[in-house]
Amino acid sequence: MLINQNLIALNLDSTTKEETIRKMAQMAADEGRVEDIEEYVKAVLRREEEFSTAVGFGVAIPHGKTDAVKEPLLAFAKVNHIEWGAPDGKPVNMVFLIGVPESQAGTEHLKILANISRKLMKQEFRDSISNAKTAEDILKVLKEI
Amino acid sequence: MKILGVTSCPTGIAHTYMAAEAILDAAKAKGHEAKVETRGSVGVENELTDEEIKQADAIIVAADTDVPMERFAGKRVLEVSVSNAIKDAAGLIEKALKAPIYGKSGDTYDEVQKIKAQRAQERKGAYKHLMNGVSFMIPFVVAGGIAIAISFIFGYDAASNEGTLPAYLMAIGGGSAFALMVPILAGYIAYSIADRPGLAPGMVGGMIANTMGAGFLGGIIAGFLAGYIVLAIKKYIKLPKNLQGIMPVLIIPVLGVISTGLILFYIVGTPVAAINAAMNNFLVNMQGTNAIILGIILGAMMAFDMGGPVNKAAYTFATGTLTAAAGVGSTVMAAVMAAGMVPPLGLALATVLFKDKFSPAEKEAGKAAWVLGISFITEGAIPFAAADPLRVIPSIMLGSAVTGALSMLMGCTLSVPHGGIFVTFAVTNILGYVIALAAGTVITAFAIGFLKKSE
Repeated sequence: MLINQNLIALNLDSTTKEETIRKMAQMAADEGRVEDIEEYVKAVLRREEEFSTAVGFGVAIPHGKTDAVKEPLLAFAKVNHIEWGAPDGKPVNMVFLIGVPESQAGTEHLKILANISRKLMKQEFRDSISNAKTAEDILKVLKEI
Repeated sequence: MKILGVTSCPTGIAHTYMAAEAILDAAKAKGHEAKVETRGSVGVENELTDEEIKQADAIIVAADTDVPMERFAGKRVLEVSVSNAIKDAAGLIEKALKAPIYGKSGDTYDEVQKIKAQRAQERKGAYKHLMNGVSFMIPFVVAGGIAIAISFIFGYDAASNEGTLPAYLMAIGGGSAFALMVPILAGYIAYSIADRPGLAPGMVGGMIANTMGAGFLGGIIAGFLAGYIVLAIKKYIKLPKNLQGIMPVLIIPVLGVISTGLILFYIVGTPVAAINAAMNNFLVNMQGTNAIILGIILGAMMAFDMGGPVNKAAYTFATGTLTAAAGVGSTVMAAVMAAGMVPPLGLALATVLFKDKFSPAEKEAGKAAWVLGISFITEGAIPFAAADPLRVIPSIMLGSAVTGALSMLMGCTLSVPHGGIFVTFAVTNILGYVIALAAGTVITAFAIGFLKKSE
């Protein structure tokens, strides 16, 4: 499984982009998905520097492709209006953190991530994530993909 | 419309797919058909086929990595960053439909040549035949006009001293090249209508029109007459199989030439000669208000469709006045050439004066437009007009009309039909001519600056 209940935070306490990424990476590390958390965070931030992964509509999708990631992962957190350099200038309140090993052999996970990315462009999908009250609800929405 | 897209981002995990989805959604919302090739970490998915590319109206390449582009040559291609597609896919579709044609050189000059060739192919019917005749005639008018203009440099009547260089130049230009203009015009109109068998009757008809004083107008009529007579001969005269070989070498030339000639002598030649004389008389004596009005109309026509049928109508008329003027230069030709130079020049100036109102690609096209403008290639304005016709076309019509009117008002004349600033030696009242050109160029530029919104 790409994501599980322990990779979902319904009210992540953080104030900056970096803090958010770091805390979510920690969640992934606790689940044994990430081997070298420093290396992973660095990869994600490097990607952010190229241009922000905030895509508008209050959504950001920070991601990193590095061998510091052991197993492909998706983590989700609702956060409280974090400035993320979004193209529409709006702060972010939903963050999808993605991690993929550099030497990812299978493409199944990548396909799922591609599908989530496509879905994120749909108002309906964003609304159901946004309205989800529990981690189970979110898992249910994501599983429908 | 059929829209194609290619999306790709450096990591190839998320943005590639979000951008693809954004383009698909925006296209659907506008009622377009769409397909998007994604080049992500999964590999290339939904790869565009050659057939799809061929049928596409526009292609959006939203990528921050290298995407194979050669396959898009000849299509409208908009290249942007992948984030642009996520931000405003709808806007990109609009822009892509007006994007410049992607080519191996991607050069404005090439693009203009392509448009000219395409237009020539799209011509139909009488217009096509006439333009075929005119295009074969132009080199004779240019060479003849320039030979005459050089002869005049030695003095207005230098050519009257036999055996001198000016006399020979006059014989080359006026006596030979100009004498061939109308026969060539008529011959190649007939050629366009009836193919090779039309040429002889057409040229002979043009020669007769010349000698009868029916001039350019008579030549056009002779050409059409000859062309359709030959078509009729081919259709109605059927010889036995073993005699069919003599059709093209004997029957068609003899019947075609003689019948065309007789119709010209007995029926149409004389009235057309009278019309021709009246028209020339009118043009020569035209001054003041009438001249200005003609200048305005012809100027606006030159700009209206930038090399299309309306432009060509004005241009052909002007070339006709040139043949009538027989080497001394025509005010109408001068006005028409200046007015045809104004649209690209005015736009080029606008890209310099109003930098914030043009895209980087348009500013680049502006540089080429200077060259196209001074060469009297009105089509140089097309890339701009295609992107924003409602603002660009009125602006260039205004500038060209002013230039046409001023050139007529100041009585500038031109003795060759083409060449832009490279034939200024064939212009009389060169100062006035430059003023007319500059005024139209500046007015066009400011009209565009006033009408166009910032990018």
